[in-house]
Amino acid sequence: MQQSIMEEKTGTAPKTTEKKKPAKSAVSSRRFWQITSKSKAGKMDNLSGYLFISPWLIGLLFLTAGPLLFSLYVSFTDYNITSQMNFVGLDNYKRMFTMDDLFWTSLWNTLYFVLFSIPLTTAGAVFIAVLLNQKIKGMKFFRTIYYLPAVLSGVAVYFLWMQMLSPSTGLVNTVLGWVGIEGPSWLFDPAWTKPALIFMKLWSVGGGMLLYLARLQSISTALYEAADLDGANSIHKFFYITLPMITPIIFFDVITSTIYAFQIFQEAYVMTENGDGGPGNSLLFYNLHMWKNAFEMFDMGYASSMAWFLFVFIMILTVFNLKIGKKWVYYEGGDNK
Amino acid sequence: MKRNVKLSFILLLAFSLLLSACSGGGKKEANATTKDGKVIIDFWSFWGSETRRPVIEKIVDDFNKSQDEIEVKHTFVPWGDIWTKNLAAVAAGNPADVIVNDLASVAHRADNQQAEDLSKLISKDLQSNLYPHLWEPVLYKDKPYAVPFTSDTRVLFYNKEAFKEAGLDPEKPPTTWAELEEYAKKLDVKKGKKYDRIGFYPLWGSFGAGSWMSNADGGKGFIEDGKLAVNTPKKAEALEWVQGWNKRIGDKNVQAFEAEFSSGQTNPFVTEKVAMWIDIAGFYTQIRDSGKEMEIGVAPIPEQETGSGHWNEGGGFALEIPKGSKHPKEAAKFIEYMASEQAQKYWALKNYDNVANVKAAESAATEMKDIEKTVYDQALANLKDTKLHTVPLEYPDYKTRLDPQLEAAIIGKMSAKEALEKAEKDIEELKK
Repeated sequence: MQQSIMEEKTGTAPKTTEKKKPAKSAVSSRRFWQITSKSKAGKMDNLSGYLFISPWLIGLLFLTAGPLLFSLYVSFTDYNITSQMNFVGLDNYKRMFTMDDLFWTSLWNTLYFVLFSIPLTTAGAVFIAVLLNQKIKGMKFFRTIYYLPAVLSGVAVYFLWMQMLSPSTGLVNTVLGWVGIEGPSWLFDPAWTKPALIFMKLWSVGGGMLLYLARLQSISTALYEAADLDGANSIHKFFYITLPMITPIIFFDVITSTIYAFQIFQEAYVMTENGDGGPGNSLLFYNLHMWKNAFEMFDMGYASSMAWFLFVFIMILTVFNLKIGKKWVYYEGGDNK
Repeated sequence: MKRNVKLSFILLLAFSLLLSACSGGGKKEANATTKDGKVIIDFWSFWGSETRRPVIEKIVDDFNKSQDEIEVKHTFVPWGDIWTKNLAAVAAGNPADVIVNDLASVAHRADNQQAEDLSKLISKDLQSNLYPHLWEPVLYKDKPYAVPFTSDTRVLFYNKEAFKEAGLDPEKPPTTWAELEEYAKKLDVKKGKKYDRIGFYPLWGSFGAGSWMSNADGGKGFIEDGKLAVNTPKKAEALEWVQGWNKRIGDKNVQAFEAEFSSGQTNPFVTEKVAMWIDIAGFYTQIRDSGKEMEIGVAPIPEQETGSGHWNEGGGFALEIPKGSKHPKEAAKFIEYMASEQAQKYWALKNYDNVANVKAAESAATEMKDIEKTVYDQALANLKDTKLHTVPLEYPDYKTRLDPQLEAAIIGKMSAKEALEKAEKDIEELKK
């Protein structure tokens, strides 16, 4: 998925590469069950090719495809790891939709997080990238500073933020206090937990920012010069040149980070007491709820069905994204595919 | 083409052989004996803290020195992982030989074939040395599937200095809920809208909303003998009482306090931000190790009304042989040693837990003095009021249905009655 988007982004359609290939290697690009060539050398070529990729193939078959299909089957059973694995049909799915209140809570929490964090982080990354694309002295320093949070990651950062968001002694509320605002209890008030996490995510927009910056630097200056001649101001230039030119990156960023945001887990697990999803279940995200079913209650059947529902849900959303992407993404060089 | 397919298959086979050869090697190692022919027993516990690790390692060491057939190897597995890892290991057929597990859910694991039946492995006299109320939970279909090691009970700790400051008699701790509330108000120290010290808040420490509800309801749990007792008048009353505290102190103040001590580094009772605190007896070690000269008192959990009973809740840990252990006989010997007076007494003296061995528990008390003895004696005296609510086989996951509703009630999203009605209905649907 990512790869194909990357290809679109760079403007080289996968088809063209095949055409340009020299005739010799054409055989090896086919699959072994399609071989028609009777030459012995060709067969040997094939074989050694597969030999070389066999570790990966075996890995895919046994370590990815196998467990994947197994979990699909498990989602129709009451598997509990040790003693039972009875086929229960659609019971798990029925339970999910009709009996499990927390399923809906967790789905809502996750959607809330995705709906707010994706637009905000994307806009934030673009904004910072544009700022960092100015030609002033010491820009390398600023670029490093803004990218730095993206390098730091994981539990240490969460702990840092837990300290910063502490209601009475945290840095955030202290600063708010200077301007006369009494900050909320952040991670301890069910109404503020999700905004707190979204806020935290904004801090590490550096990763996305780097992609945008790279693209911004490759925009031909001729476009801006032409706009200058036409008397465009900088706002015009941003909306009519810069923004359209970076839409492929925005598109790529939105799709990948949406998929990633749906899988939010660590933050809630680390930043809530006992990893239980926070006050009033306000940080019980979908994956956390699934994890609890799987590894606290050992209800693997139910957890697997939750996993498959999320998979289908993200799949549909991504297809939808790809479809509407055609309407607003601009590819330089023409065939707006 | 056929040859190609064949060759690929051969390749695949070769690879899988290689893989299985690797894993085979690993298994052999686990079965190994020491050079002098002792059987190695793998023992998993989550006791890795500075206070507990040396204690358990000393006990293991004593056992290893006491005989020359078995060598116990202690593996520390963090609290959050240990039982998950155990299940994965049981499923893979390569578990530890002895594990510390939750006493309340022994029957549940026996039912799911995750633990070995110990009836033929341990001696028949063992039972008579242990507290009957701790032996009961390890039985499944009248056979033991674990041996109780420790249990705990909750104690009300109070700050005597703070009592004096507030004009309360430090030798008269609150005995009823009404007194608890009255004292708490006197112990509050407010600065404007904010609190410098909160007298008491019922959900801090280790006595949750569920515990208060059971305290009011004659010690009854949410499921008694397979029957639901969730939506009872007494439980609703208790939940309303808890809600009242939130209203009086204010959600914001409660949250602000929680935020300060959730990192686990500073306990608010030890830093004197909270004047009364309910926790297990072992909490005393935190006060002792803080290096502060605090004058504390201990008391039983207050009762709802005079005569309703100081009902308390306890949990505990048991030693189990995971299903599929390679050396169950040797493992059982180690378990018997762990339940012996010598090992249990040492544990009690160091950790103030209620140990399962009656003689050990009582003789430990005679060797303590001053405040540690006061705390320990209170814990022993509590036993008569302490209920250990086992995980009911019919509703093993009832808490997942109960907790969200309780929490919704506590933060004021719904009334106590509504919450309990909904919880009872939701739990009913779970019945196996």
